[in-house]
Amino acid sequence: MLPRDLLIGAVVSIFCGLDRTAALQLMVSRPIVAAPLTGLLLGDPLAGLFIGALLELLWLGRLPMGAAIPPDDTQVAVGSTFLAVVAGAHFGFSGEPFTLLTLIVALPLGKLGQYLDRAARFRNVRLVKRAEAALDEGRVSEAEREHLKGLGHFALAALGTFTVITAGGWFFLQHMAPFLLEPVSRAGSWLKLVFPLVGAAQIVGSINVSRSVTLFGASFTMALILLWLL
Amino acid sequence: MAAERLPTSVLLRVLARSFFLQASWNFERLQNLGFFYVMAPALRYFYRGDELTEACRRHLDYFNTHPYLASPVLGVSLHLEGSRASGEEAGMKAGEFKKMVMAPYAAMGDAFFWGGLRPLAACIAIFFAAKGSLWAPVLFLLFFNLPHLGFRILGLWKGYGLGLGVIQLIQGHRLPDLAIRAKEATVVMLGGVCALLVVFSLRQEGVPLGWGLAVLPLVAGLRWLTRRGISVLLLVLTTCAVMVFLGQL
Repeated sequence: MLPRDLLIGAVVSIFCGLDRTAALQLMVSRPIVAAPLTGLLLGDPLAGLFIGALLELLWLGRLPMGAAIPPDDTQVAVGSTFLAVVAGAHFGFSGEPFTLLTLIVALPLGKLGQYLDRAARFRNVRLVKRAEAALDEGRVSEAEREHLKGLGHFALAALGTFTVITAGGWFFLQHMAPFLLEPVSRAGSWLKLVFPLVGAAQIVGSINVSRSVTLFGASFTMALILLWLL
Repeated sequence: MAAERLPTSVLLRVLARSFFLQASWNFERLQNLGFFYVMAPALRYFYRGDELTEACRRHLDYFNTHPYLASPVLGVSLHLEGSRASGEEAGMKAGEFKKMVMAPYAAMGDAFFWGGLRPLAACIAIFFAAKGSLWAPVLFLLFFNLPHLGFRILGLWKGYGLGLGVIQLIQGHRLPDLAIRAKEATVVMLGGVCALLVVFSLRQEGVPLGWGLAVLPLVAGLRWLTRRGISVLLLVLTTCAVMVFLGQL
């Protein structure tokens, strides 16, 4: 693993992690963008596109409303693309089965992202107290700077999640990939369907549209028949 | 006395800062410090000394709304602070206005941007991604961000220009209705995307495409499980394990 690759992964992880909540919110943090971007910078955009497309729908139905924090699919996308490209080159693995394996490994590790995000938001409470103290003394600029320190907390949370996914994933793949690649290859094309179908089921279940099941079923059947006939 | 007008340069600084509204999002008062940070350049223009610190403190109250719908709220708050600074009697104070609109605007923004536009943009992008086109992320960003950025920029400008009149302007756009249309379109697109992905897999495995209809009860079952509170992570890992096991048979 080159330090350059690690640096690229860390920078993308922080940039996309900040876009998720703290800054811009241009949706660069969505897996369909973050994963191909990581892949592009590491030299394999198609691996990133593959991961991004599978992951995009998975937690799309979980909305960041109020104090609710959805699972960190951004860092899962960046981390698994990093593993697919960099760990794949290092261990001599490539292709869709290995990319799928990195995604499956990254998913549970990414759960930590929710906890770190929560910790950053608790840490930010102190910034409010400090800003109030600064305003009591008439120092407005200092109160403004306290706000910007929150970016550091969110950046650390993103980097922490990325580190856990890549370090944990690297260790797991190093020891388990030789045994798991064969079974994953055999189930490959069915396995690819699991992610979008579970995501679609969650969206159809949570989206506030009357007769969503009917609409989904009708459009699915019509598209399937059209593709069958063409 | 006429309300003080902000120079364009100050408005542009407020607009740029509005993209960092949530930098210090916290569990106690959510976006409060961010709201103060975004308003600060304008407050500096309107007030000096103790009046300035007092105005800053006014905007440290609890605040939480959708980050994109915060733009018109910020615009109106600038308008009301300008009126207050010039001694003009406004019908409502900025704090009262914020309290009045933050919850309904949060609901509208969540429903339209998170619940409607974003899944729709994602479904369109996945069509292209399924074909291996690297245009997928570009299309996603364009489809989502053109309305998003337009709303944010115009929201601030119109909010500042119209003051409380922006409430009627936003009502006129009927965001809740648009959200429902976008969600309906999303469900239809989702069915198409899933069918496309299923067809790709069936062709790859050499299975007749008619078997694709078996996916419908599978999705219905998964939907039932997610509605019963089973975590998506658990469902994905379990289904993957089942697929791997079946692949060995």
